Amino acid sequence: MRILERPARRALAALDALATSAYGWAWNPLHQTGTVAVAMLLALLATGLYLVLVYRLGAPAASVARIAADPWLGAWIRSLHRYASDLFVVAAALHAFRLFAQRRSWGPRTLAWISGCGLFLIGLACAWTGYVMAWDTFGERLAREGARLFDVLPIFSEPLSRIFAGDRPVPGAFFFVNLFVHIVLPLAMGIGLWLHVSRLARPTLLPPKRLIWAIVGALTVAAIAFPAALGPAADSFTLAERTPVDLVAAWWLPLSERLPAGVAWSAALAALIAALLVPRVTRRPREGSWAPSHVDPRLCTGCNQCPQDCPWDAITMVPRDDDRPSLVALVDPARCVSCGICAGSCAPMGVGPAGLTGRDQLTALRSCALTALGAAVDSPIVAVCCAQAPVTHVAALRARGALVHQVPCVGNLHSSVVELLVRQGAPGVIVCGCPPRDCVGREGPKWLAERFFNEREAELQPRVERDRVRIATMAGGDLRGTLAAYDDFARHVAALRRPEREANVELQAECAPPALAEDAS
Amino acid sequence: MSSAHRLARVASAAVMTIVAIMALARATALPLAYHPSPAARLRLSFSARPERIEVCRTLSAEELAQRPEHMRQRVECDGKFASYRLRIDVDGRPAGESVVRGAGLRHDRPLYVLREYDIPPGRHAVHVTFERREQTDDDAEAFAPAVAVGADTGIFAGRAQREAAEHARRAEAAIPKRLQFDTTLVFAPRRVTLLTFDAERRALRLFGAL
Ligand code: SF4
Ligand code: SF4
Repeated sequence: MRILERPARRALAALDALATSAYGWAWNPLHQTGTVAVAMLLALLATGLYLVLVYRLGAPAASVARIAADPWLGAWIRSLHRYASDLFVVAAALHAFRLFAQRRSWGPRTLAWISGCGLFLIGLACAWTGYVMAWDTFGERLAREGARLFDVLPIFSEPLSRIFAGDRPVPGAFFFVNLFVHIVLPLAMGIGLWLHVSRLARPTLLPPKRLIWAIVGALTVAAIAFPAALGPAADSFTLAERTPVDLVAAWWLPLSERLPAGVAWSAALAALIAALLVPRVTRRPREGSWAPSHVDPRLCTGCNQCPQDCPWDAITMVPRDDDRPSLVALVDPARCVSCGICAGSCAPMGVGPAGLTGRDQLTALRSCALTALGAAVDSPIVAVCCAQAPVTHVAALRARGALVHQVPCVGNLHSSVVELLVRQGAPGVIVCGCPPRDCVGREGPKWLAERFFNEREAELQPRVERDRVRIATMAGGDLRGTLAAYDDFARHVAALRRPEREANVELQAECAPPALAEDAS
Repeated sequence: MSSAHRLARVASAAVMTIVAIMALARATALPLAYHPSPAARLRLSFSARPERIEVCRTLSAEELAQRPEHMRQRVECDGKFASYRLRIDVDGRPAGESVVRGAGLRHDRPLYVLREYDIPPGRHAVHVTFERREQTDDDAEAFAPAVAVGADTGIFAGRAQREAAEHARRAEAAIPKRLQFDTTLVFAPRRVTLLTFDAERRALRLFGAL
């Protein structure tokens, strides 16, 4: 399955670029598929509340036909309800695809993956029961298929399919149970959603308000312009030649109808097992770039910043086992996703996955970017780019004359790196991160801005001229935006005086905690 | 961002949104074939209790004496539930044949029949037989004999008679040993004709027919 990750990544990059070129990265709905799915759940709850009030269990088809015929309220609310359910399915599927392609489906994310699979299945089941409620030809088709599938399981002694045989009216109990399930499933989704985000320190549940309204507005327009189809009322004695089929929420129906019930169950089970096994088959050994974060207790001053910044609640403060009075940070490897955000949060550079601590970053900088900077006749602007950045953008910056220094995520970036660059003569440093809602470390761009411009702990020191530092967003599909940000910064920097290069800048030593500095002396 | 660029972006966003909405609206109501053939359908649907085929014997006075009083059941039966053969012929040709048993692991629950046969529209002779497969006959007479009224006393008084009555009632509630339906029907395209078991008349009949 890991072999699929690379093509999936390429496909995702192409989709992202397409959506960004149309909407801009700030509005790109593909960057927030998870939250769009949650927003759709809320839209479903709101519209469903109205529909359930006007729905009649005793006359399901007639009551839905009446709702659909009401041009003022019923017709568009019903259509909006249906389109929201379809968008939920699309958003949830894209969300899973995104996480798979970005290799975010294993390790501490396993619980989120598995609960996500459950949420997706519940969503499909909800859509199924919702269609049956309408009791048109499509609803009947779904109900019959469901009955056919369940009849091969040793659950009910009387075949469910007899409910629709026609020798008696479809019992009200059937519609009651169907409605009950349709209402109870969203409650189960609430629990599933809680599980889904339970590992996150600060889950983002909804897209920005303006995006919610834009999506709901677009769906409302769709609901008015293209009212959701309603087939003729179900009739046990008529064989419909064709029915409208929702290929989004009931994509499985044409497949299942072609298979014997036992085979359909086996295929569904195999697909479910394959989905649940994704975390297992995509997991990596926890070493190299996947190694969990680690605290150097000698450097940790107990400032309590990394537990606050870690997006995965993987760090706690515990008593020290030496005689220093402060607490010390401790990483729980089972919760750590190796995002490296903590590396940027620690002023004394005492925490981070192997190779990513502030000290490691300074070493890496000295070994390449600083050498190149020193060798340059006319010091170039340094562009610190996220490793996830599109290669075309990075190449374009190089072509503009920038010295590119790549980091795994801008959220890892220790402010000392930027300080060292400026003190070593870089006229300006532009840090190009991913769109905030598309950060694989969840909160990289947010913490970066806070540390650089709002004095969050591990802040960029006041001695670094803020005029020489800028944060930009680099999103696939928006090369023009990346270059515009760079050019604007380059013009700004050109107007500043040339910086002086300081000799012997030793930030590792400057940042060491007092205790260690004393030991050293 | 220049205003021309902003305008281009708004236009592309609008186009993409409209395309996405139309694709969604289309994909959510795609007319797909369900019963593409104009065939009519004969549906058999009913449920009934299967017969219980029992061999019964009356216990002797000595056997009864060896048992505690609350277990002195005078007639003991051993048996199983019947199974049935269902066969449908259309215009003299077999359309389907199957064995029907009561539901449940021991087949002691009611039997349920739901069979559907596609039939070309038009007039067709339909012949349905539903008959018990087991040849052995019930030993119902075992209940009738000689347990004299008053043989059981106290709170057990009349027990043998009650058991016999219950046995007879169950036999009466069960589906007959043999059912047959033989007629010529006109089948309309894409219409379902439903054949069911009328428990009151104890016969197969067309649903809706008097
Ligand atoms: S940020 Fe650094 S110093 Fe502060 S608690 Fe974490 S490891 Fe210790
Ligand atoms: S790398 Fe650091 S910030 Fe990221 S999950 Fe691990 S401990 Fe938390």
